[in-house]
Amino acid sequence: MTNPILQTRDLTVYYGKHRGVLGVNLTVNKGEVFGFLGPNGAGKTTTQRVLMDIIRPTQGSAFIFGMDCQKEGVTIRKRIGYLPGELNLYPNMKGRSFLDMMASMQENKVDSAYLNQLFERLDFNPNRRMKEYSRGNKQKIGIITAFMGKPDLLILDEPTSGLDPLVQQTVMELVRETKEDGRTVFFSSHILPEVQAVCDRVGIIREGSLIKTDHVETLTHQQFKRLHITLKQIPPDNIFAIDGVTETGREGLKIKLEIQRNLDKVMELALPFGIEDIESKPVSLEEIFLTFYDRHPNGGNHHA
Amino acid sequence: MTAIRMGAITMLNLLKHELLSRVTATIGWGIGLILFGALYITVFPEVSAQMGNLSDLAIYRAMGLDMQSFAGFISSVVLQFLPLLLGIYAIITSTQTLAGEEDNGNLEMIVAMPIRRWQIVLVKAFAIAVVVFLILLIAGFGNAQVLKYIKTTTEVDVTPTQLFAAVLNGWPITMAFSMFGLFLGAYLPHKRPAAAIATVFFVASFFGRNLVDLVDSLENLKPFFLFTYLDTTPTIFKEGVNPADLWTLLGVAVVFLLLAILAFQRRNITVHAWPWQRAQVSDV
Repeated sequence: MTNPILQTRDLTVYYGKHRGVLGVNLTVNKGEVFGFLGPNGAGKTTTQRVLMDIIRPTQGSAFIFGMDCQKEGVTIRKRIGYLPGELNLYPNMKGRSFLDMMASMQENKVDSAYLNQLFERLDFNPNRRMKEYSRGNKQKIGIITAFMGKPDLLILDEPTSGLDPLVQQTVMELVRETKEDGRTVFFSSHILPEVQAVCDRVGIIREGSLIKTDHVETLTHQQFKRLHITLKQIPPDNIFAIDGVTETGREGLKIKLEIQRNLDKVMELALPFGIEDIESKPVSLEEIFLTFYDRHPNGGNHHA
Repeated sequence: MTAIRMGAITMLNLLKHELLSRVTATIGWGIGLILFGALYITVFPEVSAQMGNLSDLAIYRAMGLDMQSFAGFISSVVLQFLPLLLGIYAIITSTQTLAGEEDNGNLEMIVAMPIRRWQIVLVKAFAIAVVVFLILLIAGFGNAQVLKYIKTTTEVDVTPTQLFAAVLNGWPITMAFSMFGLFLGAYLPHKRPAAAIATVFFVASFFGRNLVDLVDSLENLKPFFLFTYLDTTPTIFKEGVNPADLWTLLGVAVVFLLLAILAFQRRNITVHAWPWQRAQVSDV
C-alpha cells in the first residue's frame, strides 16, 4: 500500500509570461527514492523550490507530510534536508560554523559521530572558510547539510554535480542508506546511470509538464525493446520502417531494431529472409529518457 | 520542543550569524567615524576665529549656523555629516541584505530554513539596528574621549557626555534610511537598483533639507525630507533630542520595516523577477 509523503496537484508556476511548470501532478511515497529527470529549464528546480516554499505556485498546490508547503512550510522544512542546485555560501564563514548554524535549525538533533562519519566519507575538512573551498567542496558541504540531521525527506537538486566519480559513488551510497532507513529521497539529476542505480521510480519532465512517471524497471522493460535479428539473406533497406519500429543499424546480416510496438509485424517481415538468431539487448534509462525527447542515442528517431 | 521555542532559537542563530558577519564593518566604521569627528574637534581651537568670520556669511546666517562656538561648529559639521557618512553604510548594508543576498545566491539556503519569512526580515532589520547603534556607540565614545582631551587645554561649551549623547542621536535617522533600503532590498530583485533608489532618496533628503532654509517656496516639502527631523543645532547638547523628531523617524523606520516584511512575504526568491513580471501568487 502506498503512503504519499510528497504530492503536487496541478502545480503551475509562471514567471510573468515565462513558463516554469505546467499542471504537474506528482506523488512520492514514503521510503521511496524518486528521480526527477529533465534537461535544463524543464522545471525540475522550479518544482523543488515550490516544495521548499522558495517559489510560490501560480496555480495548484504542493503537499509534504500531508501539509501544505506554503501554509505550513516551517513545520515541513524542519523535517527536510535540502540541497539547492546553485549552492552559494557566505564567503567568510567557516564550514563548521555554517553546519552548526544549519544543525541548530533542524528538528532532529545532529549526531556528532554521524557528522564526523560524513566528513570522513566525503573527505571534507570543515575548518576552512567558504571562500577557500573548491566547487566540489562547496557541494559536499551542501550534501552534509542535507544529510546530517537524518531528515524524513531529502530534496536534492543534482546532488552529484561538481563531484568527482568517487564522491559521486559515496553520495549514491548515502541515498541508498537513507532508503534502507525507511526515509524518502526526491532528487533531480542529469546523470541517468546513477538514477537507474538508486531510484525506485522516476518522473520525466519536459517543457514544464510531467510526461511520464513510472518504476525504473517498468520503464526500461516496457518503453521499447532492443532486438538484434540475424537473417539468412539481406533484406531490402527500410523494410522495417513501420510504425513503432526503428532500425538503428546493420552489421552484415545482423539488423539492429528498437521496437515500441508491432513486434508481430517485424517477425512477419523478417520471416521471408530466414531468421538465424534473435538477441534481446537491455535498454538503459538514458536511452529511454532520450526517446521522450525524440533524440535517439544512435541518431535516429522512433516512428511515432 | 515547542514551535515557538524552535522559532526563537532559529531566529537567534540567524541573528548571531548576521552580527558576526558584520563585526569587521562595525569596528571599521566606528573607528572611521571617530577619526572624522576627532579631526574637527581637534582643529577647532585653531580655526575658531576663522569660523567666526564664516558666521557672518548670509548663507550661514540663513541656515542659523553659529560657527564660532564649539557647540555650533560641532553640531553643524560633525552632527550633520556623521549621520550622512553612516547613511552611506546603512544604504550599502541594507540593500545588500535580501536583494544583495539574492544576487549572490545566499538567500535560497536561508529561505529554505525552518523559519518564516517575516522572521528573516525581522532578524536582519534587528541586526542592522544593532550594528548601526554599535557604530554610533564606538564613534560617540571615541569622540567623547577626544573632547575630554581637548578640554584640558581649550574651553569648550560642550561636555563629553553631551557630545556622546548627540552622536547617538544619529541612530533614528540612520534607521529610517536603513529600513527604506531594506524595503527596497525586499521588494526589488537586484541590489543595484535598490541601492540607486535609496541613494537618490538619501541625497535628495539631505540637500532638500538644507535648501528649504534658503528657498521659501520649498517650505511645504520640508516634512518629506527626513533630515528635517535630525537636530543639528547647538541646542541638541543642552536640551537633548526632540521626542517628536525621534518618534517621526522611528515611525518611518517601522513603516518601511513593515513594508519590507510584506514585500518579502509575497515574492518568489531566486527568480530575479521585477515587480511587473511577477505572477499573481496566492496569499500566504
